[in-house]
Amino acid sequence: MIKKIHRRAVVIGGGPAGLAAAIAIHDKGVEDVMILEREPRLGGILNQCIHDGFGLTRFGEALSGPEYAGRFIDLVNEKHIEYLTDCMVIGLTPEKVITAATREGLLEISADAVILSMGCRERPRGAMSIPGDRPSGVFTAGVAQAYINKQDLMIGKRAVILGSGDIGMIMARRLTLEGARVEAVFEILPYPSGLPRNIEQCLNDFGIPLYLSHTVTRINGRKRLESVTVSEVGPDMKPIPGTEKIWPCDTLILSVGLIPENELSLQAGVELDPVTRGPVTDENCQTSVPGIFACGNVLQVHDLVDFVSLEAESLAGPVKEYLDGGLPDCRIPVEAGNGVRYTVPRRISGGKDVTLSFRPSSPMREVCYEAFQDGRVVSRLRLKKAVPAVMVHMDIKASELRGEGPVKVVARIEE
Amino acid sequence: MKERYDVIIIGAGVIGSAAARELSRYKLDIAVLEKMPDVCCGTSARNSGVLHAGFNNRPGTKMAKYCVEGNAGFDRLAEELDIPYKRTGKLVVGFNDDDRKALEKLKAQGEANGVPGLEMVDKAFIKEKLPFVEGEFAMWSASTAILNPFIYTVALAENAQKNGAEFFFDTEVTSIVDDGNMYTVNSGERSFLAPYLINCAGLGADRISRMLGIDEYTIYPCKGEYYVLDKRAGEMLTIPAYPVPNPKAGGLGIHITPSLEGNVFIGPSNEYIDDPDDYAAEKDVMDMLLSDGGRIFPHIRRDHFIRNFTGIRPKLVSKEQGGFHDFVIERRAEAPRAVNLMGIESPGLTSAVPIAKEAVRLLQEVLPMEPDPTFDPYRKGIVTFRDKTPEEQAALIEQDPDYGEIVCRCETVTKAEVLQAIRNPLGVHTMTGVKYRCRTMMGRCQGGYCQMRVAALLMEETGMKPEEVRYNKTGAYVFTGKVRQI
Amino acid sequence: MKSEYICTVCPNGCELSVEYEGETMISCTGNLCRRGFEYAKSMITDPMRSVTSSVLVEGGVMPLVSVRTSAPVSKKRMFDVVDVVKSMKVKAPVVMGQVLCENVLGLGADIIATRTVEAAEK
Repeated sequence: MIKKIHRRAVVIGGGPAGLAAAIAIHDKGVEDVMILEREPRLGGILNQCIHDGFGLTRFGEALSGPEYAGRFIDLVNEKHIEYLTDCMVIGLTPEKVITAATREGLLEISADAVILSMGCRERPRGAMSIPGDRPSGVFTAGVAQAYINKQDLMIGKRAVILGSGDIGMIMARRLTLEGARVEAVFEILPYPSGLPRNIEQCLNDFGIPLYLSHTVTRINGRKRLESVTVSEVGPDMKPIPGTEKIWPCDTLILSVGLIPENELSLQAGVELDPVTRGPVTDENCQTSVPGIFACGNVLQVHDLVDFVSLEAESLAGPVKEYLDGGLPDCRIPVEAGNGVRYTVPRRISGGKDVTLSFRPSSPMREVCYEAFQDGRVVSRLRLKKAVPAVMVHMDIKASELRGEGPVKVVARIEE
Repeated sequence: MKERYDVIIIGAGVIGSAAARELSRYKLDIAVLEKMPDVCCGTSARNSGVLHAGFNNRPGTKMAKYCVEGNAGFDRLAEELDIPYKRTGKLVVGFNDDDRKALEKLKAQGEANGVPGLEMVDKAFIKEKLPFVEGEFAMWSASTAILNPFIYTVALAENAQKNGAEFFFDTEVTSIVDDGNMYTVNSGERSFLAPYLINCAGLGADRISRMLGIDEYTIYPCKGEYYVLDKRAGEMLTIPAYPVPNPKAGGLGIHITPSLEGNVFIGPSNEYIDDPDDYAAEKDVMDMLLSDGGRIFPHIRRDHFIRNFTGIRPKLVSKEQGGFHDFVIERRAEAPRAVNLMGIESPGLTSAVPIAKEAVRLLQEVLPMEPDPTFDPYRKGIVTFRDKTPEEQAALIEQDPDYGEIVCRCETVTKAEVLQAIRNPLGVHTMTGVKYRCRTMMGRCQGGYCQMRVAALLMEETGMKPEEVRYNKTGAYVFTGKVRQI
Repeated sequence: MKSEYICTVCPNGCELSVEYEGETMISCTGNLCRRGFEYAKSMITDPMRSVTSSVLVEGGVMPLVSVRTSAPVSKKRMFDVVDVVKSMKVKAPVVMGQVLCENVLGLGADIIATRTVEAAEK
């Protein structure tokens, strides 16, 4: 017996994005909103992020992950917003019919609007194909974090970290505080992938060296990891012969990228952006399938949860509008030009003010980001410093836009 | 463990497990000694998972005979042992006149071997079966199938055990003493006694053979590397597609094989190595596989790639010698109470049961065997959730709420299946033991989401301490202990 | 003396160039705001850090409760604070914000629970 129910709005994923979206949608008057969460409790990835630094802009405090999530979970409970935990969505159709598995049975929910907030997964070793043996002792940073912070399981004594992403650096600190020896962090790019603040507090504080333009070229060990071979790489990111060095270790932490988790989105026929690997959205966070919206890491990998909450909240009004009768078309394409990796959203209407999010394609100083439409500058943002690790937000006022010509965002260095 | 057994089988790969099952049809005490913590850890697990038709083998050889027999008998075997497989057929694809001549020879060879369902087909046929594959013409082999070699081996072993065979894991044979009537097979401090013995030690078979007093064989390990492509590639390739084999290169060449689960294996490469335990993957191979495979499957893209794995062939000829060596299945004057199986490379998987039957027949020449009327040929595997209709899924959950808890998101594996995998009849408790039985950790995130829960369930069910959890073999520990030890 | 620091107060991560003599700051450049200036000062005299870690829980639905210091403490004492955390045990239920150790090592900060851990059912 499949239990079939209907909800006006269903939020898939009860992490920071889903929580903020559900609360905002509820506050807009759509009380028939339901959150589906696969873990036993709400909070998403924040439940394992015991470090602090969350909420600096939103709450003016340096909170840990669970505390930040807790603020939203308290609101969900206060407002009696419906949610299911231990509930895994296994199917989503373009008609917005959701199939979910729970211990109580298979659930089929037909929704008028679906909000995708499934977050992201880590890039595993396989997709990187590091040659060598297959010993135990190789973990992606998130897995190491979950083992240590949630399950009280220690994973090794002497670690090397590949990738200077934030999670890798956070784990460098965590491992060190728990008595493990972190020998080094290796980053293939010539600049770090994570926030400068983390380099200072997670590496420099503990004297853990960061080697840029280096990568692990071989994993050694038949049973448990015994060492990794590290090489310097050239500007083409290929290993330079003769620079190989063996680093003895029993643990390799991989922090080599996050991939938005969009399998369900694909099932629903949602168009994905090949650069972000998240859905192509308009200024309403609506995907290519009407009534399916996306926010948070599933849309684009974020670095600050404070902005995730803002992005999620921004779709509440549009969801209500959609449910009440429909959203206006967004016909103005937004393109990423020189110096910009991608933009979210990819389409705007010109009828309301928008905030564009994007990432610099490489580190830049004294940079001026300009949004052009038909040769005119419609918005300008100057930054003393811009790095790919820190998402940039640029406001575009509706009053500046004319017609349906594409808007292109370009970086320019100012002397 | 008994004081003495009737037959000791060394090696629990597909051959050893098949031998154990065949012997368990008789009233015999059987011990299977396996050096790894699980069955199917060597060559048996690391291959393309193909049930070959038998046209690639020389007429008159054991390889040809047993391959065709094994293929023909598989429907019944799969039914008895609940082994998932699919008779996809196979296309051997050609482009030019040399290819056509080679294919016609291949077809003739197959027909001489008694292979059914071989025909020469044209471009239209290729386009209809596999629109994404390139080729001018092909040979179609209707009897080729794909299967999961691990489940196949586990099924054989579990049924053997059900019928009385005892499996001993982490039991590497260190020496064998023969007093003329009884073998004492030593594994470190432990000893197993039996008058009869079957050597199914795969890559270590020459070592065991020497312990039996038969010195003439050397196994030359030859590495084959595979790349695994994700399900997007799998949607484009639903039938194995091979290029015409190059007789000089030996082996079958780089082929492209779908797996039952919808991935694609591309490979294997071919590289003689020194160390039979060296499964390391090499960088240059990827480029070669992509370019060779790309000839017939041009839609291959680097970002389809999820991971790679290697297998090692137990070749009986060295790189310099080259050429071909048939299966060795013998009982010799030097060791009349032992059956020696050597060089069981492709089509070993397909031929496993006929090889086992032949080994038993050889043993019957010296050991009278009484059939056991209680032999039960049936074995039931884990009931999977992911391939069922929604109604069937709902019913599964109703019977057992653990089917409603999804542990592995990428492969849709439920807690019920993970528990069944942990509670497996052979008592294997490694992380990979669970992985290969129920498919957790094998999807696109490679355990990023489910690994933690699998480890937790494993410890809960077995009472293991964190430092006792092994990834895939003894010494491959996952945890050093608890974070907080007060 | 000259030193370079990356400011950790906000995500901008300004690169500060600081000139100082002993514990007196002579100049600071690179900061976008006053907080960065104060940060530079503190780096010379006594850099502060918040410490986040886990405390063992007895009888809870989870084995560990995540904790942090209620205010930053001297960086020099970080490992000492962690040692205290490692030696602690708390009985479930633990409530988010609960003070598990008051004024740890007299450093002016408490160790507080950053999540709730319910008691496990028997």
